[in-house]
Amino acid sequence: MQKTFLLLSLLFLGLCGINAQISDFNHVNFKKADSIALSLKGEDLTNLPELSFKLTNDLNTNAEKFRAIYRWVCDNIANDYSLYLKNDRQRQRFKDDSLKLDVWNTKFRIKLFSRLLKKKRTICTGYAYLVKTLADFANLECEIVQGFGRVSTTNIETLDLPNHSWNVVNLNGKWYLCDPTWASGIPNPKTNKFSFHYNDGFFLANPKLFAVNHFPVDKRWWLLDDNEIPSFDTFLKAPVLYGNAYKNLELHNAPQQMHHTIKPYEKVIFKYQLKDHTNAKDVKLGFDNGFNTWQDQPTSISIKDKSLELEHQFNQTGFYDVHLYIDDDLISTYTVDVKK
Amino acid sequence: MKTQTVTQNKTLKTFGFALVLMMTLFTFNTAFSQTTEVTQERTIKGLVSNEDGPLPGANITLDGTRVGAVTDDEGKFTFPKKLKTGDVLVFSYLGYETQKVTITDKTSFITLELTPDMVEMIGAIDTNKPYKSKRKKN
Repeated sequence: MQKTFLLLSLLFLGLCGINAQISDFNHVNFKKADSIALSLKGEDLTNLPELSFKLTNDLNTNAEKFRAIYRWVCDNIANDYSLYLKNDRQRQRFKDDSLKLDVWNTKFRIKLFSRLLKKKRTICTGYAYLVKTLADFANLECEIVQGFGRVSTTNIETLDLPNHSWNVVNLNGKWYLCDPTWASGIPNPKTNKFSFHYNDGFFLANPKLFAVNHFPVDKRWWLLDDNEIPSFDTFLKAPVLYGNAYKNLELHNAPQQMHHTIKPYEKVIFKYQLKDHTNAKDVKLGFDNGFNTWQDQPTSISIKDKSLELEHQFNQTGFYDVHLYIDDDLISTYTVDVKK
Repeated sequence: MKTQTVTQNKTLKTFGFALVLMMTLFTFNTAFSQTTEVTQERTIKGLVSNEDGPLPGANITLDGTRVGAVTDDEGKFTFPKKLKTGDVLVFSYLGYETQKVTITDKTSFITLELTPDMVEMIGAIDTNKPYKSKRKKN
């Protein structure tokens, strides 16, 4: 009897973990929240209690209220690339001198809040801070999460200082993850000029997908079962995921490592859970061997329901960067070293 | 007869004392009511500062409403609605810890220093730039 109870409890807890994501709110239509956020586009940050009131007062559920706040922040706050670079340089410079790092952090914090207030430009913590502040005024339980974020342009194998912030929000007694910075848009790869481009995939994201490129300093905010939490080393060896992964994927199942060494004619297997049905012809792999770049269909593709499985056989020796594309969206990157 | 006069005088004295007592109580009661009336609804003013001195642009909101004030160039404010004991004012400014102040019987002027939110500012930028391995040049 006790065993059965324990098993049922574990199953329930497991389901809680799995379900802590947007699909819990399939019955909620966020259109009204989004349209309120849109109607308040351009509001300034001089009166945050009033802004929070205007965003949430006409909405009934906490999920909608949080959505309006989150959406407004994503659509109105720009990512400041120059501030990011400056902070990154100084933090690296003072990483072994905690006193100097503290002095820099204090100085930078003042500059950053001033930039946010006057120009509505910021970096990650500014986004997460603003979401939390507006949520606080609406009596929503929301926290800032500090941690490590892996993107293709950071030195992904030697992350030594926390470099990213995101949010958790408690809705109906359950915690959910979201990343307003990465949802707001991306800088132009050539000019580095930021452009707004809302990515809905980061709103109440699946914790298992989130864990591939978000490592929280505080263990509570994985929102995973203990046995699912990766070590830091495993995290640093994971594939690179791009924002479009959150748009297209429910889960990234395999491979769990970025780098692979194989012999000629061996295969690499890729497994994903999709959010929506996809045609096999829209799934492609991109290759870069250091001399040329090209796209090709994988050796085999299987799509059953929303489960996508690819195999690719590498016949030529060489070192390949391999990118997965779905509907021309760049999803993830791996490297394959093919040698005899 | 004499006894009757003494009894009448006693009755008058008792009546007079009761009258005076009632009038006194009534007067006090009215005065007390007026005092309560004054402490119940009154204009609250104040000064908000931060670590550098007076803080212009700080928001003061009556908790649970959208009624509010903003501090002027000297960090001063006059709350637009008369407040009563038990009302809660929320003081906020971007980058500072929000503070709540409950109005008491004695509150007429609030002096408050907001303290910075000591959050560490960090940021990684997402990108669509494909990862590119560093390769040795031959």
